[in-house]
Amino acid sequence: MKVVTMDTSKCVGCRNCELACAFANSKATCERTESKIKVNHYIEEEVLIPMTCLHCEDAWCMNVCPAAAISRNEETNAVEIDEEKCAGCKMCILACPYGNIHFDEEKLVSTKCNLCEGNPRCVGHCVAAALQFEEAEEFAERSRKKVDMRLAETMKNTCK
Amino acid sequence: MGERTVVKTTCRMCGTLCGIDAHIEDNKVVHIEGNKDSVLNKGRICIKGSSAVTWLNHPDRLYKPLKKMENGEFVEIEMEQAMDEIAEKLTGIQKQYGDNAIGVWKGEGIDFAQQEELARRWIHSVGSPNYFSNDTQCFASRYLSFNLVYGCWPQADYDNSKMIINWGTNAPISHSYWMQQINNGRETGATLVVIDTRYTDIARQADIFIKIKPGTDAALAWGIIREMIKRDELDHEFIDNFTVGFDELKAYAEQYTFEKVKEITGVDSKYITQMVDAIAKARPQVSSWAGTGLEHQSNGVNSIRSVTMIDALAGAIDRKGGMKTPAGFGMRGLTIYDEKPLLELEPIGAKKYPVLYERRQECHTLMLMDQVLSSDPYPFKGLVMTAANPVLTNANTGKVEAALEALDLLVVKDLFLTETAKMADYVLPAASYLEREEVYCNSGKQAAFITGKYVDNGLQTEYEMFKGLAERMGAGDYFPWADDHELTEWLLEPTGYTVADLKTNPSGFIFGEYEYEKHRRKVANGEKAFNTPTGKVELFSEYLVEKGIEGLNGVPEYHDPAYVQQNDPAYPYLMITGARVQKFFHGRYRNIEQLRKANPDGCLEIHPEDAKELGIVDGEKIKITSRVGSIETFAKVVHEKEIIRGAVQHTHGYVNQNINYLTYDDVTDPVSGFPALKSIQIKIEKL
Repeated sequence: MKVVTMDTSKCVGCRNCELACAFANSKATCERTESKIKVNHYIEEEVLIPMTCLHCEDAWCMNVCPAAAISRNEETNAVEIDEEKCAGCKMCILACPYGNIHFDEEKLVSTKCNLCEGNPRCVGHCVAAALQFEEAEEFAERSRKKVDMRLAETMKNTCK
Repeated sequence: MGERTVVKTTCRMCGTLCGIDAHIEDNKVVHIEGNKDSVLNKGRICIKGSSAVTWLNHPDRLYKPLKKMENGEFVEIEMEQAMDEIAEKLTGIQKQYGDNAIGVWKGEGIDFAQQEELARRWIHSVGSPNYFSNDTQCFASRYLSFNLVYGCWPQADYDNSKMIINWGTNAPISHSYWMQQINNGRETGATLVVIDTRYTDIARQADIFIKIKPGTDAALAWGIIREMIKRDELDHEFIDNFTVGFDELKAYAEQYTFEKVKEITGVDSKYITQMVDAIAKARPQVSSWAGTGLEHQSNGVNSIRSVTMIDALAGAIDRKGGMKTPAGFGMRGLTIYDEKPLLELEPIGAKKYPVLYERRQECHTLMLMDQVLSSDPYPFKGLVMTAANPVLTNANTGKVEAALEALDLLVVKDLFLTETAKMADYVLPAASYLEREEVYCNSGKQAAFITGKYVDNGLQTEYEMFKGLAERMGAGDYFPWADDHELTEWLLEPTGYTVADLKTNPSGFIFGEYEYEKHRRKVANGEKAFNTPTGKVELFSEYLVEKGIEGLNGVPEYHDPAYVQQNDPAYPYLMITGARVQKFFHGRYRNIEQLRKANPDGCLEIHPEDAKELGIVDGEKIKITSRVGSIETFAKVVHEKEIIRGAVQHTHGYVNQNINYLTYDDVTDPVSGFPALKSIQIKIEKL
């Protein structure tokens, strides 16, 4: 099943993904607080990572939810929160090792990426093509190719 | 709910022109996303693109012409009445003050490929040479610079490059799909160099990031050129056969020692060494792009020319992975400069900026304001604007307002009642990019695109306005085409293609694969290798020498920017204006509620040490003042990495923090006449 993959070597932190996500969810604002994807920029360390839910196959947030408000969408494989059922206990936020679940201070429920019904807006707005909506294996294949090319280049230079 | 159709068309929310899928329902656009088949953006768009749904359906859009009454209030009138009255007033002004007392001004509020030439055609057809546009504050200066050196408006071949040098430009924000091309190049080994005063978005991925003092880029370029020559990292075959002026260039470069460059630019010599190391490995696959960071300087043209010299010495011009010199589509032009040049009527600015007029036929918007106010050398009384908003976007807003106020007639055609439209005597509602047909070409991909009328609100197109005015002013013969579509077919005729052909691929109709190294074939055929006076890449420009512009020689010498030459200690901070933000395009889109909420106000980016010295904290309201004006705005204390000390940045286009009240219209580049918008001396006060 497809997930949103992030290539940190391409992201420039333009934040179009956050703006699009915020509007897709709120229908009213592009403010960053409403966005489920977060571009984490640590300027001192020069680290830049666009991060959103990876929809774990064994989702700890789902396992831990006492209200059974978290379930998997059979069509898109997205792990989704039913805000009607959510008790706002925040256990899912504690459980997620990536910090990909957020708390809606107005509705008092947990909130997260739902893959926009299989057409994630963050990916369509990623002008640097750092985000892809693809099978995890496709990402792995590109990573292999990248490292292979680098290896080949090194070997070529070394054997000169 | 009606049936939903999806049309592949072109985004017009900025000048980048990405391919989009527009979802139309009941004569209304309801959703926009990137067109995955587009040869340009491959399915990805920025937030402006998708937010067009809100913008185009905005309740404040104009659908009826407005006329300003004696009491200053607008009343709605019928289109026929508006057109009759406007034409009568324009003719009246011409009779009373002379044919050249009127002009037309093309802006970017609607963005339309045929808008520029239609405006040029119309104003000449009615007897005035005074065509103005936004291009004399963005684009024309870069065009002139590249054109003076190698005779075209090039495209960086980022996809195939081994070294990408970005000077004062931030692709992901300003030309979004270029970022994909840059990343393609990087993925196959290109070194990315970013040279800027600010740590911009693209700088975050740079292999080499060089933080430089504003307006000093040319000195760094000369340091690099000197080092390339010293280390003999030159493409001798290309230089010998396809350039002129190498000896002059070499002699001039001599003085730019590491020490001198550091003194001028603040850049350590290790960066020059790193860059020349990278050039040595990459050449000829070196592609440089210079943005408005260089263009908006008092030495802008020479700075950009200097930068292009690096590509020339590396043999990168018209080479794979270097700088493409694209072929055109061969469409007809609409201008009538050959049959009606009207030079004797003194196009405004043509005498002072002869290169700008000869090469671009652009009159000078800043000089226009002075002329309206002084009637020197002749009176100027009537102006028709198609979607321009100079009250927010031209230098020295105070003077712009005074000049527009002093006109006998101001007509503005736009989608909204902009700050400029509010000053107009007549406001005509404009058709948006989904409400008319146009054809445009992307030179980098050598692709043509056609758009159509997918939404119909019965609005007058730009063509209909110019045709209507021309007919009423006795120049209707110049506009024989019944409508936009007939015009498009006529424009396409010499290409051998029709609108129907182009429609077979709305994602990019490729009219010819790019031919690298065509300069060799051209020379073999006895043609000019490059479209310059000498037919070669001009490291030295005899043409510029002949123009006799004060202080200008054939080699693009570095001159200190005006703020260094005439430093005024009363204004100790150097303000860059006009850095783009991804949500807006110049004066546009602050009325898109969701974007405005995310970025409600303009602000002054300031170094933390400078803020500390001034006792200013992040978010605080402050007052900033230049020699010509003052505004209140908010401080944004950035990270020390993000800007050099002593420099600050303020983006333009905010009504409540209109930074152009502070920008100078009298500090300009001597060749292009561009204002130095990125070097404004100001003072900052705590409130």
